Amino acid sequence: MLEYAGSQRAGLRNEREAPHLLSVVRSIDWILLAGVGALVLVGLWGVAGVTKFAVPNDPTYYLNRQILYAAAGGVALVVAALVDPDLYRRYWRAIFIGTATVIAFVLLIGHAARGSTRWISLGFFTFQPSEFGKLLFVLALAGMLAERQRAVSTWDTTLRVVGLGLLPVTLVFAQPDLGTALVYMAALGAMLFVAGAPWKHLAVLGGLVLVVAVGVLWAGPAAGVSVLKGYQQQRLTCFTHPSTCSVAARYNVEQAITTVGSGEIRGRGPNGATQVNLGFLPESQTDFIFAGFAEQRGFIGAALLLGLYLFVLWRGLRVVTVARDLFSAVVAGGIVVALLFQIFVNVGMTMGIAPITGIPLPFVSVGGSSLIANLAAMGVLLAIHARGRVSRGRRASLSARG
Amino acid sequence: MASTTTRRLPLPPSRRAREDEAGAEQTAVEPYRLTPKLARRVAVLSGLVVIGFAALLLRLWALQVLAGSHYAAQAQANQVRTVRVEPPRGQIVDRTGHNVLVTNKLVTAIELWPSGLPKIYAQRVAELRALAHITRVNVRQLTREILAQRAVGDMLDPIVVRPQAPTAMLTYLQERAAAFPGLTLTRSYVRSYPHGDFATQLLGYVGPITPQELPTLGKEGFAPTDVVGQTGIEATYNKYLFGVPGAARVRVDALGRPRSARTLTTQPQPGQTVRLTIDAGLQIAAQNALQYGIQSARNTGEWAADGGAIVAMSPQDGSILALASSPTYDPSVYTGHITTRKLEAQGLVGKSALDKNYPSLDRALDATYPPGSTFKPLTAIAALQEHLIKPYALYPCTGTYVAPEDHSHHVFHNWDPNVNQGMDLPTALAQSCDTYFYRVGNGFYQLPTDRGQPLQKWARAFGFGKASAVDAGPDVPGLVPTIGYKHRRFSRHSGDPNWRIDRIWKPGDSINLAIGQGDLLVTPLQMTRFYAAIANGGKLVTPHVLMNVENPNGTLVPTTPPAAPRPIPGLNPAYLKVVQQGLFEGTHDPLGTSYGVFGNFPIPIAGKTGTAQKVVSLPGFTGEGDQSWWCGYGPVNAPKLVVCVVIENGGHGGTAAAPAAERVFAHFFHVPSAQQGLIHSD
Repeated sequence: MLEYAGSQRAGLRNEREAPHLLSVVRSIDWILLAGVGALVLVGLWGVAGVTKFAVPNDPTYYLNRQILYAAAGGVALVVAALVDPDLYRRYWRAIFIGTATVIAFVLLIGHAARGSTRWISLGFFTFQPSEFGKLLFVLALAGMLAERQRAVSTWDTTLRVVGLGLLPVTLVFAQPDLGTALVYMAALGAMLFVAGAPWKHLAVLGGLVLVVAVGVLWAGPAAGVSVLKGYQQQRLTCFTHPSTCSVAARYNVEQAITTVGSGEIRGRGPNGATQVNLGFLPESQTDFIFAGFAEQRGFIGAALLLGLYLFVLWRGLRVVTVARDLFSAVVAGGIVVALLFQIFVNVGMTMGIAPITGIPLPFVSVGGSSLIANLAAMGVLLAIHARGRVSRGRRASLSARG
Repeated sequence: MASTTTRRLPLPPSRRAREDEAGAEQTAVEPYRLTPKLARRVAVLSGLVVIGFAALLLRLWALQVLAGSHYAAQAQANQVRTVRVEPPRGQIVDRTGHNVLVTNKLVTAIELWPSGLPKIYAQRVAELRALAHITRVNVRQLTREILAQRAVGDMLDPIVVRPQAPTAMLTYLQERAAAFPGLTLTRSYVRSYPHGDFATQLLGYVGPITPQELPTLGKEGFAPTDVVGQTGIEATYNKYLFGVPGAARVRVDALGRPRSARTLTTQPQPGQTVRLTIDAGLQIAAQNALQYGIQSARNTGEWAADGGAIVAMSPQDGSILALASSPTYDPSVYTGHITTRKLEAQGLVGKSALDKNYPSLDRALDATYPPGSTFKPLTAIAALQEHLIKPYALYPCTGTYVAPEDHSHHVFHNWDPNVNQGMDLPTALAQSCDTYFYRVGNGFYQLPTDRGQPLQKWARAFGFGKASAVDAGPDVPGLVPTIGYKHRRFSRHSGDPNWRIDRIWKPGDSINLAIGQGDLLVTPLQMTRFYAAIANGGKLVTPHVLMNVENPNGTLVPTTPPAAPRPIPGLNPAYLKVVQQGLFEGTHDPLGTSYGVFGNFPIPIAGKTGTAQKVVSLPGFTGEGDQSWWCGYGPVNAPKLVVCVVIENGGHGGTAAAPAAERVFAHFFHVPSAQQGLIHSD
């Protein structure tokens, strides 16, 4: 079991003094912030190129909107960085119930419209709760883990956390949004891992996931039970058994691979990128934007983007180690792993090394919800880092003076 | 609790130092810190990140750097498509080569790519409405076509909104191209008919390959989008007219919409010119003559006269000089935007065809009529050949005839009830004596069975009862009734309560056949061929309309010539002379049935009238209608032209058909058409 300063006393939170706002600002992880800023800029650069010919006679249509979203995301980041994460821990139940309710509401709208719906339309902006759900879900479950920190290595805790976590996973899966459901599951695993769940529990859970995956992908269809939609099933089996895949089902991934490859080292530029401009690349602005970016900017640009992701993930993992308490560490771990999972699956699917699931590429894909939610998550990471540093810094200064 | 308090308070240095030492020993009170366990777990996560990114970067390297040129080539190939370039279709010209009957004109088509329409429903509907309004196309029809195309999953071809758009419409759309995503203007060739409704049924029309044609034409290398001849000459000689398609490369997007101009890689070869034996001047004269004949019939009270056909042919080689069929239609309805309304206006579909008396039917080839008296020369030849009569022996021509062996004593009437004299064969032909031929018919009936059915045998020898194999298109065989035919026609399954009696060949069948009535059915072309054989001394010609096929540079293309005229086996030329004499007397003896029309014609013409009774169903009248016939040739000593005219419900042969034929001869021989005194005769 991991220990932290508050493990001995339940009343700690009421007595902990909030660090001064100025000291928080001073102890911001500027390197992480710079990394995130660079990612957003590269993302806008990518959007500018990929969507240049998407709307006739208006090359900056999507770029302008995306800049607006980035600005809104910047505000979200600043707010999240200034809010004391302890607040989330205290109100994790409210966060959980609120998030689950909104996702369930979307699901109900979708059923009423007899189709799949992931959005709530707010007029000027279609709001996709499951994107924000990624962050809120992590905050809520981390809160639960922090509450049960003393019993964190018991089966009781593991099962309760998994049980609670499966509710939003199921809701999102039913939307249907398999990709986001998988992101939630990855984050859930990461949080248990960082919180210190015993290896044995993790091994059993991993085994269960494997059994379910095998059941859904092979045994279920064989027995006539289909949990996944036809297209989801086809995408996944296409990945595991490419030879049995139909031409139509392979089309998307083959076009994506061609698109990535055709960028070569230096890229073809926005004007010469025929795969994007002539529509051969499907979903070029959202799910497959990495391929479009790779075609236009080449290996140099794509490697730069991946390098920036790696940089941000490295700083994120560092935040886990400087976290002030178990809650903060678990939150940071969940955010980082969710980010890693999204990047790997999205980039991997455009290159044929991950199955096709509808996951946007963080900071790059066109879309407000994803960008704002990801920037807010980075804000939470910054807040955790700042407060971790503040407490240690004060400790250090106290020690120095002593 | 104590430690927390101390951390909050400014403590003396010594105390704080103690606290820190104590914290190092007591982890429980120490602030949250990086335990070895957490460090291990973060290290595991770092390992995951490293492995994941190593995989991504390696794959990226492999795709972009190692195999980049391969994928770049693939992306390049993705967007280039080779398209078929349809060649300009060959011309159809008349026998002079100077009169172009069918040619092409360049038009601009408005095409719509449904995949290019706005994604938002309201915008899509708005664009379709605006487009339909501008192009004056029914928006429902447009929507139907889009849905039909979506149903078959065809995303690579546009929908043709208007195959032929006026310039003003094109300019308007070009100026507003941005408002109509998915719209393209494509130049193409369509058929053009400089002479309007000229030999329309003979020339035929072109159209896209039908699903029924695709299996056979597909094997010959035609593409499903090709426009091919559907009927007439266009269909028969499609292989010459079509040309050789070329190929072009065009840049397309993922949905196959062209994004660049075409670059020709293989030049298309234009279709070859088909020269017909048709004489444009004579054809127009024949068409006018047909209208004149119909009008003449109406003027004499034959109110139901509304259709007919004229065939003008060279009796020596079977080349057809004119082939008119009425009513006719405007062939340009099959070019450009084909709408049901246009087709209905021309009587080409459904009920409109009935109302307009089937304008698309080529009556010269595909309609059958009883020939009536124009068939008598055949009866005469057969009777002479079978020695039933002697050419110059006199046989009674009376007002009525009753077969002596017939126990029912059925009375057969002559068209002229007041005649009572002996006639030789030429006179009987010239005056078209029915009773003379009733007697001959009965003679055929009385022949012993081992003599077979010689009348029918000779009819077949002259080309009746089977298709003439004319190249202008499939023609119908008609019907020569035989004992076997009647036996097959009436059976217990034919729904006729008297089938046991009706199936028997009776004297009346032979007697009716002898004057070209009864079940006998012939086409105008078959009659023309028969009179050609009389004119040319007994040779059966193969009717044809193809003269030659020329390459665009003027050289001739080898074609299979029509079968040479073939002498009819066993035909005695002396008997033919008797018939020729009878036909000459028909036009030159004052008692001849068409003396009034041809008696003073500057060129000696020989011919025969016919008035065939046929049960017709007309609005307000169902009963026997008189089909007006005239067949003949001239000049009699060296025949150059054989003409056959039939006018539906036109009354007597001498009043409707003969004057029409006279006009055709007048044009052919460059003589003025006589002011004709119409006589009332069979």
